[in-house]
Amino acid sequence: MQLKFKVPIFDVKDLNFIVRGQIILSNVSFEIFEGEYIAIIGPNGGGKTTLIRMLLGLEKPTSGEIKIFGKKLSEFKEWYKIGYVPQRATLVDENFPATVEDIVKMGRIARRGIFAWMSVEDKEMVKDAMVKMDILDLKDKMVGTLSGGQRQRVMIARALASAPKILILDEPNTGVDMVSQQRFYTLLAKLNKKENITILFITHDIGVIADDIGRLFTINQKATICDNPKKMLSCEEVSDLYGIDAHALHHHKHEH
Amino acid sequence: MLEMFDYDFMQRAFIAGLFIAVLASVSGNFVVLRRYSLMSETLAHSALVGVAVGLVAGYNPLWIAVLVAVGSAWLIEYLRSTFSLYSDAILAIILSGSLAVAVIIVSLGGAFNNSLFSYLFGSILSVTNEDVVTISVFGSISLLFLLLFSKELYFIAYDEEVAKTSGIKVKFLNFLLVTVVAIIIALSIRVVGSLLIGALMVIPTVAALQYRVGFRNTMLISLFFALFSVVFGMSLSYYYSLPSGATIVLSIIVIFIFSLIVNKK
Repeated sequence: MQLKFKVPIFDVKDLNFIVRGQIILSNVSFEIFEGEYIAIIGPNGGGKTTLIRMLLGLEKPTSGEIKIFGKKLSEFKEWYKIGYVPQRATLVDENFPATVEDIVKMGRIARRGIFAWMSVEDKEMVKDAMVKMDILDLKDKMVGTLSGGQRQRVMIARALASAPKILILDEPNTGVDMVSQQRFYTLLAKLNKKENITILFITHDIGVIADDIGRLFTINQKATICDNPKKMLSCEEVSDLYGIDAHALHHHKHEH
Repeated sequence: MLEMFDYDFMQRAFIAGLFIAVLASVSGNFVVLRRYSLMSETLAHSALVGVAVGLVAGYNPLWIAVLVAVGSAWLIEYLRSTFSLYSDAILAIILSGSLAVAVIIVSLGGAFNNSLFSYLFGSILSVTNEDVVTISVFGSISLLFLLLFSKELYFIAYDEEVAKTSGIKVKFLNFLLVTVVAIIIALSIRVVGSLLIGALMVIPTVAALQYRVGFRNTMLISLFFALFSVVFGMSLSYYYSLPSGATIVLSIIVIFIFSLIVNKK
């Protein structure tokens, strides 16, 4: 239950994105509050990744407004509050000269500023992130030598090192085996419940996540927001969403 | 062996050469990891336009080479970020275009002589006191910038998009990197030559990458390789009267082949 006066992390209003006459996103509106655990599903090409890229300022919407922590996206400066793990995170360049620790340290760079060296606090945050992701024993290993699941945890540790308020993950299970995927979902749920980190992630594993998530966004040009994912997953319309003739199912206005 | 240092020109060449080894290898790490290897070749050819103007107009070619190389670097970065053009195609166009302009300028000015040859392939005899001062001052400033922003540049090299979403000023740092690289290249052409400086920038890093160690160690190994190849190459150049750029580059290629063999999977 969210409080009415609380400033949402993301406040998205009437977002439209049109490329060369093709509608990618149409009138998408939603709010995301601190502590939420949200999954995004939808067919390929439905606009999931585009939506996330717009939330991160990587794409400009054709129209509409995005506010982050109450500020317009163009005025928002505290990007370290947002941890991002992209889709290709586990597909690392095997020749890149980076140990696990080198990568996790990247999470502190934007936070500490240009002329500052790594402080004791920075080092502790890096270590803490590696402990949380259970990769401390791998810290001197080259990232290119790790398995898909290990790489995935390294990338999340990097995002966690900046002590973010929200973690945004775009299909993070690409190239990850089933055991690691299960471990990954357990980790996400733990981060959400114990660390109160808001989670927003794109996935195709709609069956696996149903037990943990608080809300489910289905994106296929339009956004359909469901406050009871278990109920929604039992609906035939979810399978329709992955089909050609997908429409918005129902839009629960989020009450807070 | 040390008798070569009895000559002032060798002392100057070694001071300039060691500076260039440090600059080329440190910047080369970012150049290679950013997939900018061809850019170093392109900027070296652009610098040649500055050399040609300097030779014909009677100004110090080094200064004009710096200006032209920086201008060219900005043009490349602007074209790449503004138009949907293939990066390597932009580099190929500017590389060949620069060479064509340089050749025409020197031909019209009647300066197609040994002087230009020394800028193409490097010459330890041509390093003046003014060059040493210019290389030391501008080289130190460039190195300072690279070291100050090394963590950010490393992050951008690893994942530009994630670096951007972390709040790092990616566009500004990209321009800064190409500017510094352009300056280093222009400064280096006296000793290594415009046709060969790209190799000194790229090969030490590629050789160091074969050892599969972290970024800091990769940078240190590439620095050692560059310093060794400059000292060894310039010594060969002195004793056998060979162009210094060619001997330096052949030395680093031998190191690269060695690294490749000993680190074969």
